[in-house]
Amino acid sequence: MSITVRIQTHTGNELVEPELKTLEPILKTENLWKLYHAGKVEVPALRGVNFDVLPGESVAVMGPSGCGKSSLLYVIGGLAQASRGKVYVDGNDLSAMTDGERTKLRRHKIGFVFQRFNLLPALSARGNIAIAQYIHGDGFDPHRFDVVTKLLGLEGRLHHRPSEMSGGEQQRVAIARAIINEPKILLADEPTGNLDTKNSEVVLEMLRRLNQVLGQTVVMITHNPEATTYFDRVVHMRDGVIVDGIPAD
Amino acid sequence: MMGQFVLRNLFHRPMRTLIGVLAIAVEVALVIVIVGLTSGMLQETAKRIEGIGADIMVQAPSAQMFLVMSGSPMPMKIGEKLTELKYVQYVAAAFLQFNSTGGVETIWGIDAKSFRDVSNGFVFLQGRDMEGPDDLLIDDWAAKAKKLRVGDKYKLLNHEWKVVGIVEHGKAGRLFVPIQTLQELVGARDKATIFLVKCTRPEHTDDVIAEIKALLPNYPVRPVKEFMTLMTSTNIPALQTFIHSMIALAVSVGLLVIFLTMYTTVLERTRDIGVLKSLGASKLLIVRSLLTETALLCLLGVVAGVGLSYLVRAGFLAAFPTLSILITPGWIVRAALIALVGAVVGAMYPAWLASRRDAVQALSYD
Repeated sequence: MSITVRIQTHTGNELVEPELKTLEPILKTENLWKLYHAGKVEVPALRGVNFDVLPGESVAVMGPSGCGKSSLLYVIGGLAQASRGKVYVDGNDLSAMTDGERTKLRRHKIGFVFQRFNLLPALSARGNIAIAQYIHGDGFDPHRFDVVTKLLGLEGRLHHRPSEMSGGEQQRVAIARAIINEPKILLADEPTGNLDTKNSEVVLEMLRRLNQVLGQTVVMITHNPEATTYFDRVVHMRDGVIVDGIPAD
Repeated sequence: MMGQFVLRNLFHRPMRTLIGVLAIAVEVALVIVIVGLTSGMLQETAKRIEGIGADIMVQAPSAQMFLVMSGSPMPMKIGEKLTELKYVQYVAAAFLQFNSTGGVETIWGIDAKSFRDVSNGFVFLQGRDMEGPDDLLIDDWAAKAKKLRVGDKYKLLNHEWKVVGIVEHGKAGRLFVPIQTLQELVGARDKATIFLVKCTRPEHTDDVIAEIKALLPNYPVRPVKEFMTLMTSTNIPALQTFIHSMIALAVSVGLLVIFLTMYTTVLERTRDIGVLKSLGASKLLIVRSLLTETALLCLLGVVAGVGLSYLVRAGFLAAFPTLSILITPGWIVRAALIALVGAVVGAMYPAWLASRRDAVQALSYD
């Protein structure tokens, strides 16, 4: 899938002729299969998924437990290898990549947010965010660090360890860590699954702001139908396949 | 950032770190103290032999470097022949007996006059020289250790001796008795373990050695000064084996403890490893962070180990004043390297295991 959009730009006070641009999907899967092995038995988690996400889009993937949502997230995030089919992230075919190449792609193009926050317990909030910059390889960028931590309202909590923060704060640190390197895609695996309603709303609002203010592409897995209202598009999965794709409104 | 990460991880579980540090410390201290004890005792013995002041020492053909283990006495008559040689001023025979009752020590059976001639005599701190058959001289360190004073009785080799003098340490042995009495006690009448030769002038040492070698072929004859350099653990095969065995034992203990520590660390941090992988950390980075943590743990262990070595030495010397433990910078460095290599080897498998962890499984690990 690709779409053509009209982009209005201006120089100083003068409007320039609108420009037509074709947007290629930043994420694309073609007949994607993921098989797990339970002894000698093959268990298919994904059964030929075809799925596109455009740059700047926010997509919620919904479905019952065991329908393959998390497997889809791990495969498109390069954490797991596809059994069959193709996965393209920003034009790179993950299915043809080695483990090392997928690691490098994750480092530069993908940010993860998990249900259980998954912060490193020995490090402070600052350390948890900074280590992502260190792994990325460009060193500590104080400007980007300030922008992100301010956007997520973490300025006063940076010296605290995960054990000293609420679930909502931990998840905001996890989001900061995920976006600190300006990834092409932010993948969130039930980010509100361990949060109460109030903190869930805060986190979902943060994800929406990231998408709308920074143009961050976001794909989120969720069980919660209310959470999907924060996203441009909702995709439903069942038994390892996508059963529809409808606009949220 | 990596340094901070490693440091924070190291102190995140203080008890685990403490146990690791202690294991390395014990390993390092074991190496330093064992080597220090053997080399200290050897060097101290050599210094005491050198301190006699003789120029040449003659031993029996099958004699060992470690005098007390010689067990190869020579006829006393050899002494008379040596006296007749050109440039030989004095000859003193000594009979050495190992004693392990009431402490491990070497008893020197000497003839008071000839020993005095060769060595210019003892420096007496208390009492007088030997005159009677049951007289015993003891050096100040041994007197302190055994809490003996002039006039005390002391039982050795099932024989009661009388302490008649306390002499300054540093000359030959620590306990001296009349040679005839000692020979009678052990059934080695007219036998000597070693002959100490004093030349008319030190420059004649080589000439006299050549003469003795011609007179007594196959007898080890060497300048006393050379003895100092020969008294090393490498010249005593059994001792070298002992030292190597102890080092191997120490390294094994350290390696196994580090292996266990890092293995449990990797298990405990399975989820963290998954997180690092999700952030795009390479296998090399994960291995490097764990090995750096191990190296840091090892460094702390080495520092603690060196401190522990000095503590053990102080304890030993307080309990056994006659002991000598030589702690040298060379062996501290060697012990540190041994510990580091052992620790890194011990951490390699856990680190490799961590780098190979499946990211998805690691992230769902409880």
